[in-house]
Amino acid sequence: MNPGRDEAEAARRLRDTISTQFGRSLHIRTLDTGSCAVCEQEIRLLTAPHYDLHRLGFFFTPAPRHADLLLVTGPMIRAFDVAARKTYEAMPGPKVVVATGACALGGVYPKDPFVHGNAGEVLPVDVWIPGCPPSPLALLHGLGVAVGRLAEMTPGLTFIADSAAGGGEA
Amino acid sequence: MPLWFARGLRRGVVTTRYPARPDESAAWLPTPPAFRSRQLTRDVADRMVAVCPATALRRRDDTLIFDVGACTACGRCAETAPDAVAPSGEFELAATARSALIKEIPIRGGGR
Amino acid sequence: MNPLDILYGAAGAWLAAAVAGLLAGSWRPGLRACCGLSALAGAAAAAAGGWSLVYGNTPVVAPGPATIVGGPLQLQMTSLAGVFVALLGIVAVALALYVPRYHEPSRGTGVYLAACNLALLACLAVLAAGGMVTFLVAWETMSLACYLIILRHPRSGETARGAFWFLALSEIGFLLIVAAFVILSAKTHATELDMMAARGHLVPGGWRAAAYLLALAGFGFKAGLVPLHVWLPEAHPVAPADGSAFLSGVVVKLGAYGIVLFAFRLVPVAGPWPGLVTMGAGAASAAIGILYALAERDIKRFLAYSTIENTGIIVTAFGAAMVFRAYHQLALSAFLLIAGLYHVANHGCYKTLLFLEAGVVEHATGTRDMDRLGGLVHRLPRSAVIAFVGTLGIAALPPLNGFVSEWLIFQGLFQGFRTGSHLTAILIVLAAATLGLTGGLAIYAFVRGFGIPFLGMPRTRQAAAARETGQPVAGPALLAVACVALAVGAPVMLAALSRTARTVTGTSLGPLLLPGKLTVIPAHADFSAFSPTYLTIFLVAACAVPVLVYLAGRPRAASVSVPVWDGGMVSFRPRMQYSAMTFSAPTRVTFDALYRPSVSVRRASDDDPAGRSGPVHYEAQVTPVFERYLYRPVVRAVEWLADVIRPLQSGDVNLYLLYVFLVILLAYLLGAV
Repeated sequence: MNPGRDEAEAARRLRDTISTQFGRSLHIRTLDTGSCAVCEQEIRLLTAPHYDLHRLGFFFTPAPRHADLLLVTGPMIRAFDVAARKTYEAMPGPKVVVATGACALGGVYPKDPFVHGNAGEVLPVDVWIPGCPPSPLALLHGLGVAVGRLAEMTPGLTFIADSAAGGGEA
Repeated sequence: MPLWFARGLRRGVVTTRYPARPDESAAWLPTPPAFRSRQLTRDVADRMVAVCPATALRRRDDTLIFDVGACTACGRCAETAPDAVAPSGEFELAATARSALIKEIPIRGGGR
Repeated sequence: MNPLDILYGAAGAWLAAAVAGLLAGSWRPGLRACCGLSALAGAAAAAAGGWSLVYGNTPVVAPGPATIVGGPLQLQMTSLAGVFVALLGIVAVALALYVPRYHEPSRGTGVYLAACNLALLACLAVLAAGGMVTFLVAWETMSLACYLIILRHPRSGETARGAFWFLALSEIGFLLIVAAFVILSAKTHATELDMMAARGHLVPGGWRAAAYLLALAGFGFKAGLVPLHVWLPEAHPVAPADGSAFLSGVVVKLGAYGIVLFAFRLVPVAGPWPGLVTMGAGAASAAIGILYALAERDIKRFLAYSTIENTGIIVTAFGAAMVFRAYHQLALSAFLLIAGLYHVANHGCYKTLLFLEAGVVEHATGTRDMDRLGGLVHRLPRSAVIAFVGTLGIAALPPLNGFVSEWLIFQGLFQGFRTGSHLTAILIVLAAATLGLTGGLAIYAFVRGFGIPFLGMPRTRQAAAARETGQPVAGPALLAVACVALAVGAPVMLAALSRTARTVTGTSLGPLLLPGKLTVIPAHADFSAFSPTYLTIFLVAACAVPVLVYLAGRPRAASVSVPVWDGGMVSFRPRMQYSAMTFSAPTRVTFDALYRPSVSVRRASDDDPAGRSGPVHYEAQVTPVFERYLYRPVVRAVEWLADVIRPLQSGDVNLYLLYVFLVILLAYLLGAV
């Protein structure tokens, strides 16, 4: 299924803006909306020597006022609504919201009285990174897509493995 | 301190070159499944839907709807139907539209 | 025509204002008339004071056959007193602008206005006194008038307590001052101050030292040297705002004037140790004053302790000047005298300003407690700006006047090595280090003193309800302008003060002090140089550059106004902000040997540490060290002595007749011998 035309258009425009504005320096603010903290461990691993986020010009900051990108994990419990909105509004524009982890993408927890189940219900998410947890490499790819440095692969993937050798995708 | 420095020099650079160059450790990552549509039957599909803990799989008529975003790569669908499922090896899965992560797999295997 | 003639006019105007206040003060037109006369007198006094800085000493004048309390009325306007008279004038004008909008004319206003103007007149007489008797009578009148000022609003016992502390310590100080003057007068056989100074060599060394120490202690009671300072934090909170401003701005300076009068004019002692004692007392007062200020929630008590700190700085400068003179470093001695007098003028301006603003805040919100205020910068914008100028001055931040005078004092103290004596040099360095600590703590204290009441969110409804309408602005604004003028006009001020120093010490600093007219050199050209004017220009330019860059490259996107980032809390309550006591908690922990804090926590039930079963009461107290360990034992000793003597006064007539008989017998025996 191809993404809707206007969605792709908006995404491309945003990516152009982000790419020119941020260049090679991006400040990321993580937001845990009730996750099991394994996504946070993978995010923290990004600063370890093997993956080294800083060589790409990405930095973590605790202050939303200094942040360009909001990295959301967790299924967005309802008790966190106000804090999530306040964090988003405290970020100066232009800003990007990236939701990561199966919980934030609406996979693991259904919507119920305590949980929205999907980060997109409260915040306007620009980039979705699947994984449970997403490996640091997947996160790096996702962040690169968010700033327009890397290309999205998913529209070209079908997850159909019909060749005789097995594995891979068509 | 000098010992640590000497050890570091011997180890060399451990930082990955990703995304400029592919990373070798990517081969070991658990990844979402890819499906062999010819081995899929409606029966197999229903069993996989029932066993998926993350509601990533749904069946609609002769199409298996696979939500890549919801998949936790737990491997239960592969256990249930080993010849219908293979690891996709894809980890660069970021998407700007949520709908780009919902894939449709045709069910082409014969049988009920 | 000399400055003294102008002062006659000022004195007359103040006397007229006192009479007008007494008769018509309880009605608004009378209040305004009284204040108008007072303002005229203040302007005249300011002009006369400024003029006398450069004019030199006028001759002693005994106007007419007036005799007061056993001696003639002798007046003389000296150059040394010029700074103090000018300060008195400016403060009087500011108060005259402030009082009509602050006080509601009611029953006690007439007496209050009369007391105010009488106090101003008495201060002028102290400063213009040419003879011992005039000085002492004027001093005592000033004390009594200030006592009446403090008692303006007798509510509960605390006003009486504060006023009583003031009066008691004033009287003890007065006794000591009288003793000092009597020693000098007896030894020199003169009552005119000029003659006492001229015949100073007739006073033997031991008596000189005794006279100076008595004067230091006596004037120290008024100036607020530790441990003689106890009346300041008691009297200032209970006096009305203009009364506190007058006390801190002028009366405390008269104590400093007395010290410098004795040290430099009447009884200059040869050795270095009186100067070292003075310097030590000043440095200790500065440090202890600001430390206690950090433990206060009441704005006026806080400002009172800050006055003690600044008095310490002034007295340290004068003490160091005495030390340098004893080691024949006359240029440095004159320089420190100048720096000390400059600090007197500066502190008088900004402390008066801060007390007046404290009065405005109390009037608008009904409370003096910093922990109940907050956010006043939006509700009292003009007062906030003026208070900010005062805060910048008192925290000694460039480019304002406090920075200039404190910098000069430091530059003088750093040259202690020129005395040639190792011990003295070490002691001077210790004093400088103590002043450095004081300076840092002062910035901390005034960030707290301005930030907690004015910035942030209002902590109570009264603070939120404060309004600017009807608040006095002209008086404090005048003082703010004076602060800026003293900073910008530093070269002029220093030139005038160097003429004063020449009159007092005989050393001319002119060429060493201001070469090129805009740079200050502390007495020796090989040490340092400093230009307050260029510094001001540079700071203004340095602050303007980023502003201009921003204006030139301003982003064109629309700006959005969002709430303050509070960590994403659902409801951020003003009580979650810093309070005055938590802001200064690190100091209380570091210096707990001085504060000896005692904390008591009471919970509704013992096995409930989280306090869920009922309210938790937390009480923290700072031990009043001087009251408890110095004053209370003295008071108890006096009471014990009184108890011992009381049986003598039994009321029995027969016993009294026995006393009369015994005394006559004794006199007869003594006469016969």
